[in-house]
Amino acid sequence: MGADGLLGAFEEQVLLAVIRTAGEAYGMEVRRELERMTGRDLAIGAVYATLDRLEAKGLVTSARPRSAPSRRLFSIARAGVASLSATRAARERLWHGVNLARLAPDRT
Amino acid sequence: MPSQLPPLAASCLRRWIPRAEQAEVLGDLAAEYARRRASDGRLPAEGWLWRQVARSLPPLVRRSWWRGWTGFEPQANRMQPGGAPMESWIMDVRYAARRLRTRPTYALLAILTLALGVGGTAAIFSLVRGLLFERLPYAHEEELAVFWNQFDWSEAEYVFLKPQVTGFQSFATWRSADVTLEAPGAPARLLHGIASSANLFDVLGSRPALGRTFQTDEDRQGAENVVVLSDAMWRQLGADPAILGRRLRMAGVDCTVIGVMPARFWFPDPEVQVWFAASLNPQSRSGQYAQIGRMPPGRSIEGMGPTLTQITGLLATNFQYSAQWDKTKNAKLTPVREYLLGSLRPALLATAVAMALILLIACANVAALMLGQVDGRAGELAVRSALGANRRRLAQQLVAEAVLVGTLAGAIGAGLATLGFRFLVAMLPLGAWGQAARIDWTLFALAIVIALVAAVAIALVPVVSLWRGDVRGRLARVRTSGGGRMEGGLVVAEVALAVLMAAGAALLVRSVTKLYAIDPGMDTRQVAVVDITMPVQMSTELRQRTLRELVAAVGAIPGVRSASAVQRLPLRGTGDNWGIQIAGHPELPRSTTAFRIVEPGYFQTMGYRLVAGRLFDATDRPDGERGVVINEALARQYFGGENPVGRQVVTFDSLERVIGVVGNASEANLVDSAAAARYMLYDQIPYAPTAHSIVMRTSRPGDVAAVLVAARRVIQQTAPSVAVQELTTMRRVFALAVGPARQVMGLLAVLTALAMVLGAIGVYGVISHFVNRRMRDWGIRMALGLAPRRVVGHVVRRGLALVAIGAVIGVAAALAGARLLTSFLYGVSAGDPLSLAAATTALLAAGALAAYAPARRASRVDPASVLREQ
Repeated sequence: MGADGLLGAFEEQVLLAVIRTAGEAYGMEVRRELERMTGRDLAIGAVYATLDRLEAKGLVTSARPRSAPSRRLFSIARAGVASLSATRAARERLWHGVNLARLAPDRT
Repeated sequence: MPSQLPPLAASCLRRWIPRAEQAEVLGDLAAEYARRRASDGRLPAEGWLWRQVARSLPPLVRRSWWRGWTGFEPQANRMQPGGAPMESWIMDVRYAARRLRTRPTYALLAILTLALGVGGTAAIFSLVRGLLFERLPYAHEEELAVFWNQFDWSEAEYVFLKPQVTGFQSFATWRSADVTLEAPGAPARLLHGIASSANLFDVLGSRPALGRTFQTDEDRQGAENVVVLSDAMWRQLGADPAILGRRLRMAGVDCTVIGVMPARFWFPDPEVQVWFAASLNPQSRSGQYAQIGRMPPGRSIEGMGPTLTQITGLLATNFQYSAQWDKTKNAKLTPVREYLLGSLRPALLATAVAMALILLIACANVAALMLGQVDGRAGELAVRSALGANRRRLAQQLVAEAVLVGTLAGAIGAGLATLGFRFLVAMLPLGAWGQAARIDWTLFALAIVIALVAAVAIALVPVVSLWRGDVRGRLARVRTSGGGRMEGGLVVAEVALAVLMAAGAALLVRSVTKLYAIDPGMDTRQVAVVDITMPVQMSTELRQRTLRELVAAVGAIPGVRSASAVQRLPLRGTGDNWGIQIAGHPELPRSTTAFRIVEPGYFQTMGYRLVAGRLFDATDRPDGERGVVINEALARQYFGGENPVGRQVVTFDSLERVIGVVGNASEANLVDSAAAARYMLYDQIPYAPTAHSIVMRTSRPGDVAAVLVAARRVIQQTAPSVAVQELTTMRRVFALAVGPARQVMGLLAVLTALAMVLGAIGVYGVISHFVNRRMRDWGIRMALGLAPRRVVGHVVRRGLALVAIGAVIGVAAALAGARLLTSFLYGVSAGDPLSLAAATTALLAAGALAAYAPARRASRVDPASVLREQ
């Protein structure tokens, strides 16, 4: 997350994966979801390190469910939702008026 | 889940994952690995797993560092045991950094103290390694040995022995032969050279970098003059690879350059620039040579007994020796390393020991400081322990602090080591090796390693104290009296080491003072000296005339009161002894005395004392009767109680009349007892060597430097073919004659001052801490009427008691260890009571001073404020 409150690309992906796997969002599941959606084989260490950083910033929280105390389950915090929405808004402003088709080379 | 990770992969990851998360992360990874293994096969699954490990480690390491540094703990891990194993170290280092920042006096004292010790030790060990342990630039140096090195050998002996001695693979001979190098349009310059038998390089097993070395017959008389250059000399001449075959004019003759040695090569010292093939004369019995032999492979010096017997047997058949210089009786081989470097060892060893002592003192100091800090933190440690920190963790924190101090000290120490290295090279009596000593990266590595080892050793002291003590019990004892025994012990050790060094320094100071107190028999103040060398081909008459002209020319330099010349300056060692007989006394044994050839005005210039008769003057003409001036020792030895003036002595076959007697002077060495010497005029004998010293007495002490500069110019203008070898003063010649003791003393004095400062800091630190601990007691007692001056007395007594115990141990150690300095001592025994007393007194004074500051603080305490603090 930059000084302006916007998320980095990987942080954004990890936050989205936490939302998508809500209720199941422990480290390996987040990693699997990212792999499924982006097609990239991500290192589990990188996912945990990013989740820690997000938690330190207050964008996610972690807790241990009574049923599985060995697991650290992540859920998005209110600040995380706000950051995601700000990041998305910024991205859409950037995309506004950009026509990729015009820039793409002609296909014959 | 039948999931098992390969043990190596698991252990790589485990130390970087917090304990609370290890089961989950490793379990999930194992499950995913098992799934992939079942679906894709073993190899692809393992490939995936190791990619995971390799790509996970960097972010995990970064996370451990970040967590340790920021102290971040996720919500889910609260009330779970511990973070990642490496994280606690990072936290402790960070905590230590914060503690050091908030206690700048303690931190600076600890770091700088340790840095001093580390820097000095790294510098001396780097020097010792480079000088004493570097491989010599000769093949199989263990096979090389020098023949009875207390003797000089002659060309006749070498030529006679060489074809007959069978026990060596080969042996060579060499002598020092400094030569002039003349180049058109430039002043002549003096080169350090060696003249050797042709096989010298073969015996050493050294090959040239360019060209070749000598061939078998090149040391015969009449062979072409050939020369091999050192790498440095070759570079000074332009580093031209085409130099081979070029002719250089050296010592007045043309020499052909046949080879250049590699940069690393030196023999017998790093200052030698050229090697000549000597033209060996089988008849020459003048002894200036040394001999070196290569023993058969695998043979030790002890195994050379039969060969030595063979050599002494051969010598006995062909040569006759006086009892004192009998080579047939004193056969001894010296390993080449000892022969070349042995003289450096005592000074280096003494310095290394002194530096190691400084390091020990510094370590004791830092350990005492840390111990004081631990004691000051007793409350904090007790609280932490009550909250569940175990001793291991508390110890780890102390080690982390020590390692941080050590790392910083190592970095500063490495910088100090480079300065220290240059300082040592300048201060130690290393001669030519001083210039060869180089700093390399190992110096820095050494500094860091020494610092870290020292830091861990230091940390052991408080850790042991922590381990022994009952941490929780300390909570109750905080700020009460007692304790501090370990700190006291450290200071006692420090003081003992400082006394040991101070005693060594005091011994050297006494030796050197005694050496300086010797009367050299002349006035060494205000005498400028120029050493010159004349070309070999210059005739005797021309040399005499040139010398006359030079003395006249330098005598006219403003500021010169009188000038003269001599073929061998006093205080530069033995040599130039000539045979003597007394006319009319054939019964007196034929013997030799020191023989000096001088220009008129020599005695006035050098400040000799006239005892009887007269000195040389204008009446002593070249064609007149030959006069000789003798010294008192000669007069006593050969004339007993008679007046020698007017009597005649015989040199070779001619008669000289004794015209005067002068006082004894140190013609050879400073510490020799007065030796018989006689002096004659250059103009009255048909001989003039190539090397001379021109001496000038100046009107004022401040003129010496200016006179030397002017003299060089005047000499070059008056006689361009004469090489100016060295500009110096008699003061300096005298200082060199005092020898290595003077230089080692200077160094040891500096180090001792350092040791005493460190010792005083130690006493100060411990006494301060002692005062802080007892502040409350004194507050109460002073409130009840205890006089402040009694508090001062009590504290200072405590400091002095520590110093006194340390001094006793130090004196005992000094008595045992002074043997190390024996080779530098003159006129003082290693157990000299005055030196030991001086060392002890100095430390007691320093200790009292160091204890006085905290004592005054204690006596000024306001009882009310102390009691309020409780």
